[in-house]
Amino acid sequence: MTNLKFVGHPAQRVDALDKVMGKTKYVGDMSLPGMLYARTLRSELPHARIVKLDTSPALKVPGVVAVVTSADFVNHSNFGFPISDMYMLAYEKVRYVGEGIASVAAETPEAALEGVNAIICEMEPLPAVFDMAHALDPDAPQIGPDRSDGKHPNYIGHYPVYKGNPQEKLPQCDVVVDQNYETVMQEHAYLETEGGLAIPTPEGGVVVYLSCQSPFIPRNDLCKVLGLPADRVRVIVPPVGGSFGGKDDLNYQTAGQVAALALKAKRPVRMTFSREESIIASYKRGSMRMNIKLGADQDGTLRACEFRSLYDSGAYSSQSPFTSWRASIHAMGAYRYEDCTVDIDTVYTNTGYAGAYRGFGNTEVCSGIEQAIDEMADALKMDPLEFRLKNCLKVGDVTPHGQLLSESVGLSDCLLAVRKMSDWDRKRKEFANQSPSSEKRRGVGVSALFHGTSLGAEGLDEATATIEIHADNQVTLTSGLTDYGTGARTVYTLIAAEILGIQPERIKVHNPDTNTAKDSGPTVASRTTILAGNSVRVAAQNLLQNLDWAAADLLKCDVYQVHRVSEDYIGPSKEPVSWDIVVKHAREMGLVLSAFGRWSAPQIHWDEEKGTGTPYFAYHFGAQVAEVEVDLKTGHTDVINIWAVHDIGKVIFPQGAYGQLYGGISHGLGYGLYEDLDYQNGYAQSINFDTYLIPTAMDMPEIQGGFVEASFSAGPFGAKNIAEPAMVPTAPAILNAIANATGRRIRKLPANLERVMLGKELTKKGSPFSCKVALKIT
Amino acid sequence: MLINFILNHNPVSVDAPADITLLALLRDHFKLTGTKEACEVGECGACSVLLDGELANSCLVAAPSVMGRDVVTIEGIHAEDGGPNDLQRNFIEKGAVQCGFCIPGMVIAGEALLAIKSEPSRLEIREALAGNLCRCTGYMQIVDAIETTAKGRAEKPHPEKREN
Ligand code: FES
Ligand code: FES
Repeated sequence: MTNLKFVGHPAQRVDALDKVMGKTKYVGDMSLPGMLYARTLRSELPHARIVKLDTSPALKVPGVVAVVTSADFVNHSNFGFPISDMYMLAYEKVRYVGEGIASVAAETPEAALEGVNAIICEMEPLPAVFDMAHALDPDAPQIGPDRSDGKHPNYIGHYPVYKGNPQEKLPQCDVVVDQNYETVMQEHAYLETEGGLAIPTPEGGVVVYLSCQSPFIPRNDLCKVLGLPADRVRVIVPPVGGSFGGKDDLNYQTAGQVAALALKAKRPVRMTFSREESIIASYKRGSMRMNIKLGADQDGTLRACEFRSLYDSGAYSSQSPFTSWRASIHAMGAYRYEDCTVDIDTVYTNTGYAGAYRGFGNTEVCSGIEQAIDEMADALKMDPLEFRLKNCLKVGDVTPHGQLLSESVGLSDCLLAVRKMSDWDRKRKEFANQSPSSEKRRGVGVSALFHGTSLGAEGLDEATATIEIHADNQVTLTSGLTDYGTGARTVYTLIAAEILGIQPERIKVHNPDTNTAKDSGPTVASRTTILAGNSVRVAAQNLLQNLDWAAADLLKCDVYQVHRVSEDYIGPSKEPVSWDIVVKHAREMGLVLSAFGRWSAPQIHWDEEKGTGTPYFAYHFGAQVAEVEVDLKTGHTDVINIWAVHDIGKVIFPQGAYGQLYGGISHGLGYGLYEDLDYQNGYAQSINFDTYLIPTAMDMPEIQGGFVEASFSAGPFGAKNIAEPAMVPTAPAILNAIANATGRRIRKLPANLERVMLGKELTKKGSPFSCKVALKIT
Repeated sequence: MLINFILNHNPVSVDAPADITLLALLRDHFKLTGTKEACEVGECGACSVLLDGELANSCLVAAPSVMGRDVVTIEGIHAEDGGPNDLQRNFIEKGAVQCGFCIPGMVIAGEALLAIKSEPSRLEIREALAGNLCRCTGYMQIVDAIETTAKGRAEKPHPEKREN
């Protein structure tokens, strides 16, 4: 593709104007006449049987209009994918602090809360499991659902990758690194908390405005638990105030609760969460314990990797089967090995619960493997960046999964770029010569990553789009994939504008709506640009063909003789005709001015038993360098610089791509340095931004970003993806920089002050009290 | 109780309970939903307003305390024609907007800074934004937008005013 007019050029986000003016309506900003406010009674115990649940006192509270429990749904409100272990409201027992039990709708938020507090809910505490290492003990209390295959009910799954036999290879290697790494839970901290608004319809159905990522999932769940046909349930995604993977399961429950209340009360019902309720009730990035053994020869050739890990999914499986699978695929890093095995086991505990979060398993394993790679380079006395360059995947390599990489592998270029931008070689030398007595020490660290694009062998991978020219010549686009702040709608607009040769301003992208869009699978896995982008490209090409026929007819020539100059069509006569005239003529010819586009990802497969196959059809690659200054007196780590270069195939919307890069890095910096949604005995230790700290503008360094465009032939204009992988290498780059600065390695995230200084943790005081109070009053 | 104050350059009078916050007053009584609620403990800045020209977290301000004072919300920030002013345009141009939930607060914080400092350094801009959390952008393009606006206003003989 040459001479692209819109793709790859600076553009304006299509929804930015309303946002800067304060006009955008998020769910919590919407209200209707007669709307009720809803609130949910949530569990104060990590594991308990519901002995008695009497909602009648709530109905006596003035202002309370309706109450629902699991008894108001079909099949006790059971739902969940891929494992149906969740309920819209708890059935028989609760498995974590914050789990919804009953929901109340009332004339005012205050009355709803009073109604919640009036509900009689007697619980019998059950023994709980808080340490994932004991989840599978034979006598461990049962958390997960009953199972018939004889496996432990707290066992979710095993996720392997098998190539050769590293156990045999490792003893033959000159140098072996054998280390444990650990990550903790991370809160998404989207600025907009969860919320939904349900409106009953005259035909007995319900419309739900839901802050979520994938509207077809709650639509289908609602049909199931409410016993309604698909045409009676409509889910619309209004503007979403951030998600990062976090607005799925929990907010599907919100959808179920407000929908059931709206149907019962026959009035609109809205629920929004306080920050405390959001943090207590919502799922997190799960914690992981890893053991990594690497073997290499003295000449710097990596030969073997044996990776074992345990992943804590908490009280529900949510997306953990997929997260764990993605983790297994990426656990060994973007390197060549002769022998490599990965074994990840995933279990239930009563520690909150874990679900999707940006990076989806790769963020966790990358923090382990990229430190192990550094430790190996150290052991070999090699420069860690040089060591990565020597062993990283290149075109023509076969991955440990058995996949031949035939194109679009830009990792070496990313590494070389950050090396140059960061002045790596000079800094490594300079920092090696810091005076041992200096209290403030500098260091640089590098990290590399690969990240499979889209769902991979996690599921059927296709998307659809429709495009239409209306009577006023406005062009509208629909896609089943959501823009929850990522800029996807702008990407679709630029792709359609490029294909149709019209100004982006002519195009409007609808909000995702299960009534107008076609199901395109979930909006996850950074799959939007490739999947939805390609389906938009196909739809636009189908529409363009009709316009070309019309132009040729108008210009009295063959289609191949027509060409375009900006929005004009020109034929052999050289007299230009405008796009609007061509559209008018197409109408007169009776040609349809709408088109449909479907794009299916290339075929891939994964053998879950043998641990081999083609897990993803393409990979994103990237490298980041962090420079830190550590104050040895206070333990404070200042990230001074970050250089980040990622191979995303092709930049479509530059401000959007950089925005994703910078934003991803901020999640990674928080993950590396201070974010730790710690639970003690099942109780979250931080429930608002006063104690759960996310990076501020002062914490974030100036970032130097860049993109390598190793074009992917099946991507739209060669594009791959960016959203998730931007955060993946940041934390290990920072940890490697801290090790370079201090000579101390922190193998448990985050590298907070006490870990840097003391090499150990200070004890924390648990506070079930604050959780309970928050659920009762705020 | 009756609360009289100046809201977005117009005198207003509202009958509201005495025990609510300015944030609730704005959102629930005036339906000005551009001011967001994201923590209610003064930590996130999503609820930022200008109170007598200074940056304030409206979730920490008792509604009755604005009696006789001047409050500007995001709805009061725009160019003369009602469209985006220079700062808002730069937010759009620089790609500073993602999910947008923090953005009204960021624009208010930017205006509060530019009112007292005509050419802030990037570090000074970061300091001024330190009470406003954004989970999407990593702040780079927000800093760019404020920096560019400051330069633009310094160059122009009649800088675009925020209060018009
Ligand atoms: S809502 Fe006021 S500072 Fe967060
Ligand atoms: S743009 Fe989403 S929080 Fe700032």
